[in-house]
Amino acid sequence: MGKRKLTIRRKESIYGYIFIMPFIVGFFAFTAGPLLFSLAGSFTDYNITSRMDFVGVENYQSLIVDDGLFRTSLWNTIYYVAFSVPLTTLGAIFISALLNQDVPGIRVFRTLYYLPAVLSGVGVYLLWMQLLEPGTGMVNLLLGWVGIDGPNWLYDPDWTKPSLILMKLWSVGGSMLLYLASMQGVSRSLYEAAEIDGASRWRQFIHITIPMITPVIFFDVVTSLIGGFQIFQEAYIMSGNGEGGPANSLLFYNLYMWNQAFESFDMGYAMAMSWILFVIVFVLTLINLKLAPRWVHYEGEEK
Amino acid sequence: MKNLRIFLLILTSTTLMLSACAGFQTSDSSEGQTNEEGKTVVDFWSFWGSEIRRPIIDKIVADFNASQDEIEVKHTYSPWGDIWTKELAAIAAGNPPDVVINDINATAIRGKENQAMNLSEFIDDDFSDKFYPELWNATLYEGDSYGIPFNTDTRVLFYNKDTFEEVGLDPEDPPETWEELEEYAAKLDVKNGDDYDRLGFYPLWGVGYDVWLLNANGENYFGADNNVDTVNINTETNVEVLNWLKSWRDRIGEDVVNSYQAQIDSQQGNPFFSGDLAMLVQQPTFYTQISEYAEDLNFGVAPLPEYEPGNGHTSWGGGFVAEIPEGSSDPEAAWEFIEYLTGAEAQEYWAVQNFDNVANIEAAEAAAQSDEFSEEGQMVYQIAVESMENTLLTPAPVEAPGFYNYINPHVDEFFLGSMTAEEALAQAQADVEDLIESNQ
Amino acid sequence: MAKTTDRSDYLTDSEKAESQSAVNTKPRYWEHRGNRNNMWRMLNFVLLAAGSLLILSPLWWMFATSLKTMAEVMSYPPSFFPESWEWSNYIRAWRAAPFTTYTINTITITTLVVIGSVLANSFIAYGFAKIPFRGKGIWFAIVLSTMMIPGFVTLIPQYVLFANLGWVNTYYPLIVPHFFGSAFYIFLLRQFYMTIPTELIEAAKIEGASHFYIWWKIGLPLTKPALATVAIFSFNGAWNDFLGPLLYLNDENLYTLQLGLAVFKGQLSTQWNYLMAGSLLVLLPVILLFFFFQKYFIQGINLSSGGK
Repeated sequence: MGKRKLTIRRKESIYGYIFIMPFIVGFFAFTAGPLLFSLAGSFTDYNITSRMDFVGVENYQSLIVDDGLFRTSLWNTIYYVAFSVPLTTLGAIFISALLNQDVPGIRVFRTLYYLPAVLSGVGVYLLWMQLLEPGTGMVNLLLGWVGIDGPNWLYDPDWTKPSLILMKLWSVGGSMLLYLASMQGVSRSLYEAAEIDGASRWRQFIHITIPMITPVIFFDVVTSLIGGFQIFQEAYIMSGNGEGGPANSLLFYNLYMWNQAFESFDMGYAMAMSWILFVIVFVLTLINLKLAPRWVHYEGEEK
Repeated sequence: MKNLRIFLLILTSTTLMLSACAGFQTSDSSEGQTNEEGKTVVDFWSFWGSEIRRPIIDKIVADFNASQDEIEVKHTYSPWGDIWTKELAAIAAGNPPDVVINDINATAIRGKENQAMNLSEFIDDDFSDKFYPELWNATLYEGDSYGIPFNTDTRVLFYNKDTFEEVGLDPEDPPETWEELEEYAAKLDVKNGDDYDRLGFYPLWGVGYDVWLLNANGENYFGADNNVDTVNINTETNVEVLNWLKSWRDRIGEDVVNSYQAQIDSQQGNPFFSGDLAMLVQQPTFYTQISEYAEDLNFGVAPLPEYEPGNGHTSWGGGFVAEIPEGSSDPEAAWEFIEYLTGAEAQEYWAVQNFDNVANIEAAEAAAQSDEFSEEGQMVYQIAVESMENTLLTPAPVEAPGFYNYINPHVDEFFLGSMTAEEALAQAQADVEDLIESNQ
Repeated sequence: MAKTTDRSDYLTDSEKAESQSAVNTKPRYWEHRGNRNNMWRMLNFVLLAAGSLLILSPLWWMFATSLKTMAEVMSYPPSFFPESWEWSNYIRAWRAAPFTTYTINTITITTLVVIGSVLANSFIAYGFAKIPFRGKGIWFAIVLSTMMIPGFVTLIPQYVLFANLGWVNTYYPLIVPHFFGSAFYIFLLRQFYMTIPTELIEAAKIEGASHFYIWWKIGLPLTKPALATVAIFSFNGAWNDFLGPLLYLNDENLYTLQLGLAVFKGQLSTQWNYLMAGSLLVLLPVILLFFFFQKYFIQGINLSSGGK
């Protein structure tokens, strides 16, 4: 009996590795080398084209001890993540709940809400710069209609990050898709049973829908956290020439790193920055994974 | 499920057919290339892809290709800004193009970092005389040139002659000094309650605070030849200039400044075209907008006013160079093309077709006389050419790449009111000194 | 890390449902509804419609700009409706660069990327979700880690790697890596596989089915909504990719749509009307695809008949 069980387990292990083999191969072929290179490079004064001398932990040391902009950029990024991740997650769940219903024209609605997520790249950021223009932009025009005197958005350091969060909320339709796909998988019979028990719509949503989609909520939180820390292009375009202004309020971590790597050609320094970010994000993800069993509910849990 | 699989099957077969196309044929491009006719191929990358510029550069390339039978230049457009990331990756991998257009202000740094080739072996003694000295000097690292200046720009004062006449100023006598500038501006203002029907002038439209600092100092933040032994950021003059700039803002009012700014940004709605703004600092190419949107405007152009009489009408400019990336497969052929590109003929063609300032002095002066320009156009171009004598560049010293990133945020805070000029400049000075120290 | 992904760590719930099997049953739930239900639907509709206005207004701006003359784009104050509707902007934008060639190129790349992403990620995710094996936790941690390093610092070494393979100026660097899975989709599909009852798989195994068979016959069909999501996402990603084509393609005949759109944004000025017209044209296929692809994740609800 024992021996037989062992062989089954081994067979399963072999299967497991066969299934993840594409990833392993791709990892070693395309990813591992560049990753290790960047780790090694973080201990050098690598300048991309002509120099790569070992400097020990100098990069790390000056980042943590001396570099005020490093701290500014980290703070800006944490601010952005702390607001954008919860807001976009809640927004996406809310919209998906609305879009998971049977109302006339639902396909059109779904397409509409997904539209902003399809639009990407420089054009959208330029568009939003026009929309957020204090005097003539549409945002302040709309706010004016309801009697609100809109702020100076991208010109006021207190409002630059909220501007970006607002823009992110507009394109929340991307993760809406995930929730929608997940909500489609929730069994109708659960709702029917609840209906018979006389549970209200709201209670059904809280006690059936939400628990059943926790795997995707978990996914969304983890990935948008990772993605949020890497915010770059929005700030690069919308702060004018990638300087991160006004008053460094849009100097995000990756923007500062980009400037170090491709403006100052101090790639070694940028590589050190990237590994510090890696540690921060890794720890946060680990905490997420540790907390997951308390609230994430997998229907098909293996016993 | 069945549908999905059929769908996949169709997709796969279509793409397999497509895969026969060029995107799937690998070739070894790192070796020196020759085309079917045995000509050396020079890969030339620029960011000039617009409707206006593309035909001009393509014509220059075609002219060059027709002019000799050894070399064939192949021009490739790559997006503005991103082109240099692409170039850098290609240099790192050892298969760069042969000629690239790049920012003049970081040429020395690219030389230091071995991104661009040292061109001194190709250059005759008097070659540099063809170009404005300020431009030429910006390309030097340790005395050697790493890129040949192509085009450039400057900043000049546009003013509305009719409004001058209206308030009793001589339309042929634009302001010479900052003092006159203020005096004239006050005369030209037409106030209407808190608002303005016409504004005389505001210094921070069209240019940044740094141009006024440059104008007042007559030199860059750094010492002679861009050495970083001295850093002149926190100086009395600079404090005074910043406060002077802010006094305009305080006098005119935030709301008026913002609303005019939005109109200027919109281009056609520029209040200068409608006469609601009497004076404005701009690049000479602003003339093309005037002739498009306000044909009948009676305007004049003058050099920037000087800080004090005799201080000099210092202006500010930038520009681009043609460089040979390190690792180019055929630098000799690349150089031949660069020589043509920066030669008088090609430069004059570029200047005239684009209404753009060029680096070649002979070409610039010839363009100012060009029959292709209207009389007004010739006048503007002439002032632009004259202004080049007083135009400084602000190339980054190799020890302080991106130094403005360390100054601008503090100056932002000054203008936002959260710091005094002294505080802002003291911090900027300290930050730039730290930057220099960390790069030494 | 290893421990967290260990299945025994996860909260187990008694409510192990016949959930998936019920997915395809007719939506009886939508029948026999009273006024309260209609009121909810009304509210739902109103909310969606109001939200649509907010979503659409920036897009209207884009659309309006695409129809203006350059002079009108540059006028002040900006107009909300174009004065003259310059439909020819679309034609001129299309002709400003060889967009037809770019479209064919982009379709080629995108199609292959989608095929690769759907197949590879689904396969890999099944392994992570449904097969117990030693070292799974560590490998899953590695998968997630690949998302956490900013791409800038690996951009240069990766380029050098592909250059050494002779892949610069070909589509291979843009396509081949997608056949080996990517962290985001592996993680996403794993989450969906985790919700498939293990009993289903155990039962199939007892009947002698291999994991390959189970993946193909049970895994794929049951995760169809998620696969549709991956397909849409990866289509979108490849269609809009800018950095990849920028770096790896040197020959303008191989350029993609996103590189083509960049010609409207120059050093000195932006041709707003063409940029917006071009962006909308490039967007169109993605919208259409999404509109028609939706049915893959609308399984339980039959919309047209649901309201009766």
